[in-house]
Amino acid sequence: MRKYIEFARVQMQVHAAYSAWFWANTFSVLLRMLVIYFFWKAVYSSRTEIEGLPFDSMITYIIIAMFLQMFVSGVGRELAHTIKDGNVAIELMRPYHLITRLIAMDIGDKIIHFIRGALPLGILAFIFMDITLPTTWQGGLLFLLSALMGIWIGTFFDLLIAILAFWTINLWGLEVMKEAVISFFSGALVPLILFPEWFQTVSLFLPFQAMVYVPVAIYTGILTGTEAWLALGSQVFWAVLLFVLLRVLWSIAIKKVTIFGG
Amino acid sequence: MLTRYLKLYYLFCKQNLKVMMEYRMDFLLGVLSVMLQQFAGIFFVKIVFDHIHQLNGWTFYEILFIYGIAATGRSIHHIFFDNLWTLGWQYIRPGKFDRLLIRPINPLFHFIADRLQQDGFGQLFIGIIVISTAMPHLDISWGVLEFFILIVMIIASGFIFVAINLFFATLSFWMVDSLPIVWTIFNLSDFARYPLTIYHKGIRHLLTWIIPYGFTAFYPAAYFIEGSGFQKLALLTPVVAIVSCVVAYWFWNKGLKAFTSTGS
Repeated sequence: MRKYIEFARVQMQVHAAYSAWFWANTFSVLLRMLVIYFFWKAVYSSRTEIEGLPFDSMITYIIIAMFLQMFVSGVGRELAHTIKDGNVAIELMRPYHLITRLIAMDIGDKIIHFIRGALPLGILAFIFMDITLPTTWQGGLLFLLSALMGIWIGTFFDLLIAILAFWTINLWGLEVMKEAVISFFSGALVPLILFPEWFQTVSLFLPFQAMVYVPVAIYTGILTGTEAWLALGSQVFWAVLLFVLLRVLWSIAIKKVTIFGG
Repeated sequence: MLTRYLKLYYLFCKQNLKVMMEYRMDFLLGVLSVMLQQFAGIFFVKIVFDHIHQLNGWTFYEILFIYGIAATGRSIHHIFFDNLWTLGWQYIRPGKFDRLLIRPINPLFHFIADRLQQDGFGQLFIGIIVISTAMPHLDISWGVLEFFILIVMIIASGFIFVAINLFFATLSFWMVDSLPIVWTIFNLSDFARYPLTIYHKGIRHLLTWIIPYGFTAFYPAAYFIEGSGFQKLALLTPVVAIVSCVVAYWFWNKGLKAFTSTGS
């Protein structure tokens, strides 16, 4: 366990070393917040609510969802590149479990991201953009729990997709595709209740809404009471399923490495 | 001189195409992924417009049209000039840029021709589909002249993308890798997907006169929209494209002169 904690810690330090990327990220997020703000302001210029959501609930949903989406992908890229350049063979010989190491690094990454990026920017958003707090304190607690589950599901999904690097070399395409599907179905762009009926039904059977929509809907009070607990249950289901799937696919993929080695 | 470069470009393309054909699955994956990415953006606009009729006076098809021009213009950049993204981390940092400098052709040409980005074709398909979906719904009769202007506008839009990326990629000559800056500036183009009239004045001026992403989509589209109030400004699009390219190329040459490889 100690070695994995060490990995997480080192990853945090690595992060601090790349300050150019930190500022680029911060600035890009600020820009996106501006686009979002003006876009929704224009949408609401001639009405007071959409599907029962007033402007401040909507903007709260969109901004929180944007922040959460930044945390649902993880070290998939790292894994994919390790596979692509063949280093995976060496990694497999080292005295740790590669996937566990990557997850440890990811946790370090996310902690530092949260402290240096999301937290200050989030505070800015609260001050300048009419963002509201959770409607109830139970809702707030449930949101935290649900958000952690969403991040867990996202991380495992990310690694699952990265394993496909054993079969394709277009990692950029893989990543873009994954991002597109997630922003599509996870409710990261708009609350799923705005989507057509059939789309909501489809996404109910996919893991993506568990990544972003469920936690943020709990936060903004779209999901409350039994509905919220049921949604949390489905998150647990997906978290376990993806965890198992990852282990299975990984063991299949590893066999492929030995085949490559001859 | 020109024919020599055309012939060279053809040869470069041929090599690139061979690589593409070698990895057919990856080609499909790339095209599909970009199409999906663009589609997500359009779907978002569609969902929002299911609940409203107008965005600040702009209809769904007008927004779609802006979106389509942005996507098509960007595809020119994406297919032919994608290598601009890699100047710092794939050429200068590993010392590979010196290789281009000793060849008897323009280094910028060599650098650009080094890669043809297949993934951009997905962007092109989607862009054309979106534009042709939106076109019949605009209040304008499409004649030969209008088509000609549209094509000029799209090419100009593509070259504005190129010029802006070239300008900021050139910073790599001084700082080894300027990718974070290039990427941040590129994100500004997100603003241009929607009518600039919804933004604060400061943002509008920034995107019109300083980093002219406004001319990659909104202004060209506004030319075809009756009563948008931007028809005159829209005509400036090709001029803006030429000026941006000239400025970026001048800056590139300056960078080239200042360039001392990572080794020294």
